Order: sequence, then C-alpha cells, then structure tokens
Amino acid sequence: MAGPATPLSVLVAQCEDERARIRKNFEHGSSAKATLLALCELADRSLQQVFKDALKLHDSSTEGLGLLALGGYGRRMLFPFSDLDILFLFANDKSEEEFRPLISEFSRTMWDLGFRVSSAGRTIDECKRIEEDNAEFHLALLDRRFLDGDAALFEKLDQKILPPSERQARPFLFAQLHRLTKERLGRYGDTIFHLEPNVKEAPGGLRDYQAAYWLRQIMGDRKDLRGSSAAEEQLAADAVEFVSSIRCFLHYSNARNDNALTYELQAGAAEKSLGMRGGAQRSAAEWMRIYFRHARTLNRQLLRYMDQKMAVPASLRERFFSAARSVTKTAPPMTGDFAVRGGQIEVLNQQALSDRTVMYSMFVEAARTGTPLSREAERSISYVMTHSELPVLNQAIQWETLKEILAGDFPGVALRPMHRLGLLMEILPEFRAIDSLVVRDFYHRYTVDEHSLRTIEHLQELADPPDERGVSFAPLWKTLNRRDLLIFSLLLHDTGKGVPTDNHVQGSLESLDTAARRLGLSAEEEAEVHFLIEQHLAMSATVQRRDIFDPSIVSGFAESVGTLERLQRLTLLTYADIHAVNPEALTPWKAEMLWQLFVATSNHFSRTLDRNRLHASDEKSMLEQVLAVAKNAKQSDVERFLEGFPRRYLAVHSAAEVARHFALYQKLSAAPLQTELTPERHGFSLTLLTADRPALFSTISGVLAAWGMNIIKADAFANAAGVVLDTFHFVDLHRTLELNPTESERFVKSLHDVLQNKAALEPLLQSRDTASRARPPKVAIQTRLSFDDSASAHSTLLEVIVQDRPGLLYDMGSALARLACNIEVALIDTEGQKAIDVFYLTSQGSKLTAQKQDLLREVLQGTLG
Amino acid sequence: MMKLEAIIQPSRFESVKDALREAGIEGMTVTEVRGHGRQKGHTEVYRGREYTVDLLPKIKLEMVLSDKAVNLVVDTILKTAKTGKIGDGKIFLTRVDDAIRIRNEERGESAL
Repeated sequence: MAGPATPLSVLVAQCEDERARIRKNFEHGSSAKATLLALCELADRSLQQVFKDALKLHDSSTEGLGLLALGGYGRRMLFPFSDLDILFLFANDKSEEEFRPLISEFSRTMWDLGFRVSSAGRTIDECKRIEEDNAEFHLALLDRRFLDGDAALFEKLDQKILPPSERQARPFLFAQLHRLTKERLGRYGDTIFHLEPNVKEAPGGLRDYQAAYWLRQIMGDRKDLRGSSAAEEQLAADAVEFVSSIRCFLHYSNARNDNALTYELQAGAAEKSLGMRGGAQRSAAEWMRIYFRHARTLNRQLLRYMDQKMAVPASLRERFFSAARSVTKTAPPMTGDFAVRGGQIEVLNQQALSDRTVMYSMFVEAARTGTPLSREAERSISYVMTHSELPVLNQAIQWETLKEILAGDFPGVALRPMHRLGLLMEILPEFRAIDSLVVRDFYHRYTVDEHSLRTIEHLQELADPPDERGVSFAPLWKTLNRRDLLIFSLLLHDTGKGVPTDNHVQGSLESLDTAARRLGLSAEEEAEVHFLIEQHLAMSATVQRRDIFDPSIVSGFAESVGTLERLQRLTLLTYADIHAVNPEALTPWKAEMLWQLFVATSNHFSRTLDRNRLHASDEKSMLEQVLAVAKNAKQSDVERFLEGFPRRYLAVHSAAEVARHFALYQKLSAAPLQTELTPERHGFSLTLLTADRPALFSTISGVLAAWGMNIIKADAFANAAGVVLDTFHFVDLHRTLELNPTESERFVKSLHDVLQNKAALEPLLQSRDTASRARPPKVAIQTRLSFDDSASAHSTLLEVIVQDRPGLLYDMGSALARLACNIEVALIDTEGQKAIDVFYLTSQGSKLTAQKQDLLREVLQGTLG
Repeated sequence: MMKLEAIIQPSRFESVKDALREAGIEGMTVTEVRGHGRQKGHTEVYRGREYTVDLLPKIKLEMVLSDKAVNLVVDTILKTAKTGKIGDGKIFLTRVDDAIRIRNEERGESAL
C-alpha cells in the first residue's frame, strides 16, 4: 500500500462540484437517463476512492469483502437525493468481523461526502438462504452490480450461489412482489389519477416500472410469457424518461427525497416544459395530462405482468370459491368472437374487433355480470383503437346499447376499461374535457374523470356494501328503476369542470344537451338526467346548510325534487358524489344525515300523496306536451281526464304515456274496460282504465295471482270523475307469457271476463300453482300495520309492511273490500322479499273510524299472519 | 387566553364560519359530532324499519382565543347560530395556561 489517503475536504469539494455540474446539465435540458447515470458514476467513483483510502488506512486487502450496488443504484438509476443501497458481501463470519472497523470508516466518509448510504451485510452463506420476512432485500438483490473489492467473491455469488436459489425462490419472490405491489397500489386507491401524485410510490410511478422490471426478471424463462411489442417497449421507455425527469426535478426543487408532485411544482414543471421535447409551453393542467398518459403506460405495463401468472398455486379454499363463483354465474357467452375464461372476458377473434358492435357486446357482458376484460383483451382493443388505418364498422353506438351498459349491475366494470382504452371518449366526446383533468381543490383527491368513475363504482359496491356507510343505501340501489339515467348523469355531472365557464353545472348541462341529441335520448330521459345534473349539489347543500329535522325544510326539498323515484336517484347520486371526493369525505356522520333527509322526504311523499291533486287547467306545459302527442285531442277532454288525479300521476308518467292513457280513456265510451299489456325489462306492466267499483283493485290482483304473476309495483289512482287508472308491474314467475306469446291474449281475456262478471275469480285462484307459496322465505319480515289520520284531509293512510308472496295483494285487497274500505290511492312496492304497501282508504266517503281501523288491523293480521 | 368550544346546529355552521371570518377570526377546529342536551331525538319509520335518532348531529367548533377576542367571538356565534329553538347548542369557555407554536416554538398569545 503506498501514498496517503485523499483529504476529505478535497473529496467533498469534488463531489459538490460534480453534483452542481450534473444539476446544471439537467436544468439545461440533459435527459433524466443521462442525469441518473452521471449521478451513479459519481457515486461509483467516490465510493471506489473512499474504499481505496479506507483499505490504505486499515492496511487491508480486498480479499473476503465485496461491495455491491443494489436496487435502483444497481440498475444505474440513482436520483439526486436517493439512498445509496449497498451490500457488503463477506466471504465468511471471520472476514465480517475483520472488516467491521473498515466499513464503519467507509460509511462515515460516504455520509460526509453527501451520500445517504443504506447498507446491509451478508456472508456468502447467508445469501443462499431466503429470508421470508425480508422479500424486499431479495428483490433488491436482483439488481446487484459489482462495485469494488473481491471480484472473485462476487463472481461466486453471482454465478454459482444465487442463480439456483433464485430459481427455487421464484414462486416466493413472485408472490411477495405481488403482495407488496398490491398493498402499495391499494394505499393509493389503485388509481394513477391523483391530483398531487407521488411519482415514485403511487400507481403509474417509478415503483410500477421497477416492479414490472422485477416481475420480468423473475418470470424470465417462462415459455408462455406474452412479450411486449417494440411499440409498447418504446412507450414504456418514454414514460420512464418522463417520470424520471419529474423525480429529478422534485428532488432538486425540494432538496430532499420528496416525490410528491404538488400543485406548485406542477406549475413549475409545466413552465419549464419538463420532459417535453420542444413544442409550445403548456398549462399545468395540459402538462399533467401528459404525465397521466405516461403514468398510465407504466401502470398498465405493471398490471399486465402481474396478470401473467398466478403467484402461487391456488389454495384449496381459493379453488373452492373460484369453482363456486363459476357455477353461480350465468353460463359464459360464446359468441365466437369472445368468451369468458378463467373469470375474465377474452377475445377469441381479433379481427371481429373492427366491428364496434362486437366490442360493445363485450362491455355489455362486463356490465351485466361483473366479469372484467382480461388485460390481453384490453390490449387487443387498444391495438384496434390506436390504429386508425384499420377499418371500423358500426362505430356509432346506439343509445339502446349504451343504456344496457349503464343499467347493468356492474357499470363500473365496463366503463373503467372503456375509459382506459379511449372508447368512452369516442362514444361520449363530452367526457374528453375532464380526461385526466386536475382541478385544484382542497377536498378532492382525484382527477375529475377518476372522481366520476369512482362515483359509479361506489354505487356498484352497494350490491354488497363494504362498510356501514352504504348499508342503508343498498336497497335503494338494488331496487332502482332506470339506473342507466343515474349512471349517465354521473358520467356527465362534472364535465363542466373541463370547459371555460363560471358555473360548472351549467357547463355539464351543455354537455348533456349535445350528448342527448347525438345519442337520441327521449325528451323524458333527457329531462331526468338534466334534473340530476342540475341538482347534483342540492341534496348535499340541504344536508349541510339546512335543518333537516324541520318539516318545512323537508317539505320544500320534496317539492323541489318532485317524485320518490327522483329522490332515490338524487340520494344515490349525492351518496356517490361525496364518497368519491376522497376516501374520508363521506363520514358516517354525513352518510347518516343524508339518509335522514332521504327518509324524511320519502315519508313526506307517501303522506302527502292524497293531498296534492291535479287541477288540469293549471298544467299548461303538460297539456301542451300531451296534445302534441295525442293528435286531434280536444284540450277540454284531456283536462277532464286529468282533473283530480294525484300529482304523482303526472310526475311518474311521461307526456307520451299520458297521451296513451288518454287514448284508452277515450275508448271507455265504447268498452267500459280498457287494458294495455306491455313487456318490460324484468317482466310486464299492465295498465287498466275503468270506472271505479268496489273490490276492483283486489279483483285485478286476484287475476294476476291466479296466473302466477308476482306484483312488484303498482299504482292505483282515480280522477275526479271516478275513472280508475291502475298500473301493475309484475314478474311472470312461470314465464307463461314469455314462452307462449298467444297466452297474452288469453290472460287479457281472462282479466276482462272476471272484471265484467263473465267468469268467476275463485275457480281460477283454486287452480293456481301453490308451489311458490309453499317455498320458505329467505328473510323473515315482521308484519307491521300503521294508520295515519293526519296525512290526508279525507282519507286514512294505511301502511303495510309484510313478507311478500304471490297473491298477497289479492288477500289484502279482498280484506279491505270485505270491510267496505275504498282504495282512493294505492302505492305498492317491494324490496327483496319485503312488500311495502301504502293505501289511502275511505269508508262511505270519509276517513276510517277508530273502530274500523281496529277491525281492519285484526282482519289483516289474521290474513297476513 | 381562553379556549372556546361551541356546539351548534350543522345548518348554522356555514353562517357562523363566514361571520367569524368577517370578524377577522380565522383559526378553528371543526368536528362532526353527535349528542343531545334538552333537545331529545326522534324516530322516523321508513319501510317498516324504525330509525331512532337519539343522538342528533351537531358541529363542534374549538378555538383558543386571546382574552380581548373572546367577547367578539361569543357575540358573533350567538348572533349567527341562534334560531331560538331547542337544539341551538351551547358555548363553553375555559382558561388556557399557554400555547406553543410547534414550528418556531413561539409561546403565549403570539402563538395563536
């Protein structure tokens, strides 16, 4: 050993100068890759110098000690303020003991030179063993690089010791990497779209690249590994360069290893056009969109590698549940173009994807069953979407198809990949305005598009609420009609944030205007979505700024909402909108307040139904709309028809439906009973007009029960002239009408015969199938009867909660008829196996006396059990 | 210095916050709480299920104030949180011995 050690002050000055030069080069346009390499070379040179000096000082040789770079440093990706991961490799315990003072000296000096050394020490024997509680170390070891010291020792480790143990440990490393990655992604809500993302740890950050790189190494020799195309490799390389530039910029700006891309630094990066190769300077929002594009590339690459192979063979429990899931699902579709395999939708015929109807069918299937598209299926679609030269068939989506996706039980399972692939923006260009859009806000955590998709996913979760906050709202979601309108509203409700306007709600309504026209929504559908978007902040504001326990506030809010159906949609929209702001935004406190307002308003609707009656001449707008549809109708006739119906009648029926009812009404003079049977998504609806008479409601219910029809919802209204308009929505339990179209005629005839006293109801009822009646209920519902005399000026309100069963309404209606109770208004609803029926009753034109109520309670309890 | 705790109706919170800001009072800690005093809860029935609200939702404001600001803040809260009905809430005042700003270790009223 000859020559003195280099003075520390000289080394410090050299390092500082070199670091300043590297920073200057970066700030003058040097690439991130070159910057990281330069920092790495500086670390290597410094380390070798310090190690040499330490050997001199301790008069020692390198035999038995090797220095290895691990992790990012091993891969030559050293960021300005990152730790220097070093492994001291010892030949044996003795050498470890001998080199301990030298290593202390070495580490101290490296710290003095400004390197944050993070070191570990292992003997070569220790490296053979897999430390099951320290997977991170073994993963970092995959990036090992020799720095200095005993080269033969390193060669032995690198060539002889580690290859067999790493091969053996592959399933373990794979499983651990999966676990660690899933935990990390989960901590960031499994999304890249954070308003202030962490460019190292968050999804789409450099850890995604690193994890993908390790997965690739671990799976290196698998024959079935689906490789990336050259184009995908280039995209990934560009993304790594872009995100690395940001990380360098953040380190230099913060003067520490802080990787949060804050609003302030977003503006700074955009101003410098960081990561851009020329072109005009962009706003911070536009520059962030480029960041998200690159982040999406890194995240997608990682997820593809994570999908490549099961981490470990499935446990018996996992196999059991997987099998149970597959048998409970409906049979997978086999269109020839795609199929469900291994719980994912796979493309069978790549060429068929040029036909958009095939593509849309895959998403309809995903939304219907909750089966996700496989990563490879997405990749195939992405290829078609990004190659504009490929022919496209049936590009324009039909509203009917989009409705199917939106109305499914799992709309989020379809809409998220549709957005990822650019398909959502193709069919709904209004959504482009909020694509990856950062709107600076103290409360929101995600970009606007991510927030919108999360609202939908939070609703989807209500099928099986993940926590207490959703439990009350779950039945609303499960029983909601026209979910498509709610989901469509959620997609558009914040699109106004992406257009220059003072009021984003107004901007969103303009988006709806163009989207509705292009897609061909009916006027009623557009009006419903318009209401939801326009009022999407109203319920939240009422909860937070009004006394929701004040009846006048509830009444005013109910008036602004209009119908129970709208209230249900608005409540779900508000629940989802608050929930998607950030994971903590919907506190149990807020969820309870929202629920209280819903309950109070819902009860207000039920209790005021009989109070608010129509005066047709006041309904000018509705009259005009009905007259426009019902050609040649006289206004005075329409007014006579509408006069005296509860206001709810207009609220729940479109102008076209009212016109159809009016057409039936006009035929009453020719035939005293008019009916209309219409197939619906989950059954049929029966509309019936006739003059009021005793036991009418129970007789209709009896015919439906006799035919095996289960009534899900019903309305019974009467106008001032005593014309009854009943609507029954029912499920055809035995699929009689569905499988035998000619039976529809027989069914309607049977109804007419019974109501016109040409046939008796009892023989029909005796012949009905009692099998379903005998089936034990899954959930026991306790019968509850309550009377309210204060809700209406001239009727008594009876609310019945009871276990649903076929024929229930007939039994109740018959009991009411036997006691000479006239049904003025009825609202029939079901929630799972619970029937919720509200009747406004009179007896001899007045409210029910207390004695009558007691008698009715006794009779009904006897009938219902 | 005094610590002020005010329990108010959630519906009055925005008005109280705005009024305090106008009066030059910026710092406060806000908590969503449930509770009841003389205002008892009530029961709503929805679809056969009883929802008993015996602990009513309230907002709790906490502030530590210099002695000279106490009257202003109390008056502002009284003016803006009062509806005259049971359930408007309460204000509690307690003396505070010291306050320390963690960033620079300032103490006393200058740390507020």
